[in-house]
Amino acid sequence: MKKIFLFLMVGLLLAGTVNAQDEGTKSTFGYKPSSYYSFGWNTLWSIGDFNKWIGNGSPAGFNLGGRYFISGSNFAAGFNIQWQRVWQDYPAQTFYGDNGLALTAMNYRFTWMVPFQAAIDYYFMPSKMISPYISLGIGGDYMEHHLLIQEYDIYKTYWDFSLTPEIGAIIKFGAFSNWGANVAFNYKWTTNKIDFSNGTSFKNLQMLQLRVGLCYFLR
Amino acid sequence: MKLLKLSFIALGILAMASCSKYPTASSRLLEDLAVLTQYDVNTNFGLYKTYSIVDSIYYITGKDSSMVLTPDAKAVLNQIIGNMNARGFKKVAKSAKPDLGINVAAIKTTTVTVYYPGWYWGYPGYYPAGWWGYGSSYYYPYYPTYYSSYSAGTLVIEMVNFKEVTDNGQVPVVWDVFIRGLLTGTHTTSDVTGSIDQAFTQTPAIKTNLP
Repeated sequence: MKKIFLFLMVGLLLAGTVNAQDEGTKSTFGYKPSSYYSFGWNTLWSIGDFNKWIGNGSPAGFNLGGRYFISGSNFAAGFNIQWQRVWQDYPAQTFYGDNGLALTAMNYRFTWMVPFQAAIDYYFMPSKMISPYISLGIGGDYMEHHLLIQEYDIYKTYWDFSLTPEIGAIIKFGAFSNWGANVAFNYKWTTNKIDFSNGTSFKNLQMLQLRVGLCYFLR
Repeated sequence: MKLLKLSFIALGILAMASCSKYPTASSRLLEDLAVLTQYDVNTNFGLYKTYSIVDSIYYITGKDSSMVLTPDAKAVLNQIIGNMNARGFKKVAKSAKPDLGINVAAIKTTTVTVYYPGWYWGYPGYYPAGWWGYGSSYYYPYYPTYYSSYSAGTLVIEMVNFKEVTDNGQVPVVWDVFIRGLLTGTHTTSDVTGSIDQAFTQTPAIKTNLP
């Protein structure tokens, strides 16, 4: 077993050396990708006013991203497309409508969102197996806020402007592997709002998000 | 490589699981009692003082109907009377020409899938306007909110205004109450009487100004 491990390590090191020499090279071990694509599982926690609408965190989301390294720099530009849902049920509340209408019932709320953002990242060690980065995403979100009361589904839809500062890391599975992982944590501020006739009104929805996913690197 | 494939499959499953826009609806949405009320905003309830209420509950099961006065039915009627009295109204006999009348019906289930308020008026035995000694039929002076299904079990309370009978004999329904969910989940009589209290609480307009 030890022999096999040793053989693999030596092989890996030799392969790395040869590859590095071939690329003629900024790094003695590893490579800087020209671009990469990522697909991740996203968990969201609402904060601020958004937390008053739905207090639960939600793991029901995923993210698709792409990054293209700017030649000769540690910067990369790209995009993020996301899909996310948060939900919670609440005990009986009274909602007042027009024309003398009132309804008291438990209610079930959910928000469904599809953000589209452009992003600019700075990678501290893009050639290494583990490269931390900082990022800023700028874009918009489509959100639907649903209030379900018995068979009624009352909902509002809004587009917004959003900003997402992020910290994270890309982790190659091997020095020259095309595959890797992505871990990221971000704060998101939006101009999105929630307003229903029962007085429920929240502005500038904010959230924290954790993303874990896979990356495919192109050289 | 195998681990990588498994990771991809796991991520794919997670993504697919979260793909549905609508989350699995909580069963409590239909199990908990819901209280829907609607009143005629053009009616000034403060101008009225006396009311009368039916002496039993009209019970509809499918195509059949009957009058019931079980202990539960009595508790429902007494709770309505208690709330009306607390709002300053005075209960009188039907023969005393009350200003307002109150009909009560319990609907267990129906064969119809679309329900508009007032369809039960056609059931034989439902307190017709003529039963009160006024007019020939009822009408809503507002566009009523409707439920699309009635299988959950519903208690219906309707307040009619005998002082605004139209020239063609129609009596306006000035307050509608639907307490829904009686047959879903587990509910006690006090849950139902509590819902009657809630119906009055969310309709503060029903209050007399007369001494």
